[in-house]
Amino acid sequence: MSFIINFIRAVLDAMLELFSFGRKGISNKLPIFVKTNTGKQISLNLDPEWNISNVKRLVAPSLGISPDEVKIIFAGKELEDCTRISECDLGTQSVLHAVKSRSRSEIETKSKKCLETLFDDENVGDVPSKPLSSTLVDLQLKGEERRDSESNIKAKAHFFVHCPECKKLCRGKLRVRCNICKGGCFTVHRDPECWDDVLVPKKIQGHCESKEIACMSDEENGLPFAEFYFKCAEHGSGGEKDYAAPLTLIKMNLKKVPCLACGDISDPVLVFPCVAGHTSCLDCFKLYCISRLQERQFISHREFGYTLACPVNCENSFIQEIHHFKLLEKDYYDRYQQFGAEEFVLQSGGVLCPQPNCGMGILVDENCNRVHCQNGCNFVFCKICKQGYHIGDCLPESAISNNMSVSEFSVNPSRVAGARWDEASKIAIQVTTKPCPKCRTATERAGGCMHMACTRAGCNFEWCWICQTEWTRDCMAAHWFG
Amino acid sequence: MSCPAERRLRKELLELLTNPMPGIYIDEEKVAKNINEWIVTIEGAEKTIYEGETFQLQFSFNEKYPFDSPTVLFIGKIPVHSHIYSNGHICLSILTDDWTPALSVGAVCLSIRSMLSSATKKERPPDDMIYTRTCSKNPKKTKWFFHDDTV
Repeated sequence: MSFIINFIRAVLDAMLELFSFGRKGISNKLPIFVKTNTGKQISLNLDPEWNISNVKRLVAPSLGISPDEVKIIFAGKELEDCTRISECDLGTQSVLHAVKSRSRSEIETKSKKCLETLFDDENVGDVPSKPLSSTLVDLQLKGEERRDSESNIKAKAHFFVHCPECKKLCRGKLRVRCNICKGGCFTVHRDPECWDDVLVPKKIQGHCESKEIACMSDEENGLPFAEFYFKCAEHGSGGEKDYAAPLTLIKMNLKKVPCLACGDISDPVLVFPCVAGHTSCLDCFKLYCISRLQERQFISHREFGYTLACPVNCENSFIQEIHHFKLLEKDYYDRYQQFGAEEFVLQSGGVLCPQPNCGMGILVDENCNRVHCQNGCNFVFCKICKQGYHIGDCLPESAISNNMSVSEFSVNPSRVAGARWDEASKIAIQVTTKPCPKCRTATERAGGCMHMACTRAGCNFEWCWICQTEWTRDCMAAHWFG
Repeated sequence: MSCPAERRLRKELLELLTNPMPGIYIDEEKVAKNINEWIVTIEGAEKTIYEGETFQLQFSFNEKYPFDSPTVLFIGKIPVHSHIYSNGHICLSILTDDWTPALSVGAVCLSIRSMLSSATKKERPPDDMIYTRTCSKNPKKTKWFFHDDTV
């Protein structure tokens, strides 16, 4: 009797094992797409242990050619037969490109190549090679560092991106496409060696096989350029339009540099673009941004946008890629965007609508002092004193509050219900603040001396609280401290 | 987890206690009670006009430290010096305009000690009377003019 029970149990166990094994097999598979230049798209489940020759065998029938004639192109490289799938930095739903090789000689070199696995520098673009992810040297290291660390860094190149889908800092992956047709079936002539190779357009040429007729450029040799872009490596590929902004200042802390602010050694870190390469952990970077943002001390840079420099005040250390500020929490990032937009309007000679809760940016005619908040609250105001519009000279400050309610009533009757509250805060602002004589930013003096420095970054005008004009030695002598 | 300012201050404290700087002593008991308030004793350097005298500096840190500078002033006996007001306020650019997060408590103490050491005459700043009568309690609220970088 027990023999029969044991037998049944053994059979059951074996079945269970089979079942779980089968499941394991399936979960290991990597679903990807293969695109051909004839417009076909094949979806495949790849085993990471397979190599490229397996893929060729699977793809060849749908192209109607023999497996030796198939070329597999991915991320700017033609992949060689003996490369394993797991080496290729493929994610779920990544797209491989399959095309027919152009000539017989090419096929011969290819098969020879796989045996030798030598690196032929003269002809990199045309012969199959290792995938970009494994040949690429770490762009964050400079020439010397690379040589020093080659032995201990076997890991892949590291990129960080801000992923709009994951809404956070993610590991990134580098991808390549043709700058003319934007197709991904593109092989580069050389690997990028520095950030400039990747970020500055038209640095590296290559061959495009995305279409049946190769793309041609206006260059002497007629070859198109590689266009590099980044994707998030932490979610499945969302197709060819799924980009992420590279955060070039964020690096792996291979040198174990302590944070300039908290002194902790963390990984990854942000390295400011100054000569000294001052390094900050990401928490302290956020703290730095928030404290500067609250004091409105970001700078509106003509080329880079609304940005910050190294906190140690190094020269030429502005952060060029403003996507780094996306690391801030949403509320702060929203404020960053609002301040940035306001600063842009002010620097282009525009004004901000002075009505509470409006603040609409308005670009104005240089010779006209009458400003109409057309797309906002409809308030009509004077460009100089920021009060309701008037004819003739601006009124002195004290007279304005009496005049205000009348002009407001006539301007926008629908606002009257809310006017009292706004009026109350307006009076409070008028009593406790004075406008910067240069940019009219309302400034509160909370103790201290009469020497004011405008708190708006980019203005920084030094003025006298009493005279309400530029600070002079006379002010210092007469009423420095009131 | 403690905030970055506290972590940084703990590191600075540990560093100053393990590698003390000559003539600079930290009141450990006071710091142990509140990491954001430090009392540091500074000895006048040898062969200077302050030799044999000791002074106390009070450091206050906010949660934005080290991106925001500490508030530093002399308490108790105030050294007579042309950049130090009789209420303890110090006219030193690294405490306001030129502060950077790369500076530290140790660096500030060293600067103040060398500022004392380089003086040749014991005198108050020329505007001491008017300043101390009208200024804010917080020295960071004063917009300083740094006329003289040599002293």
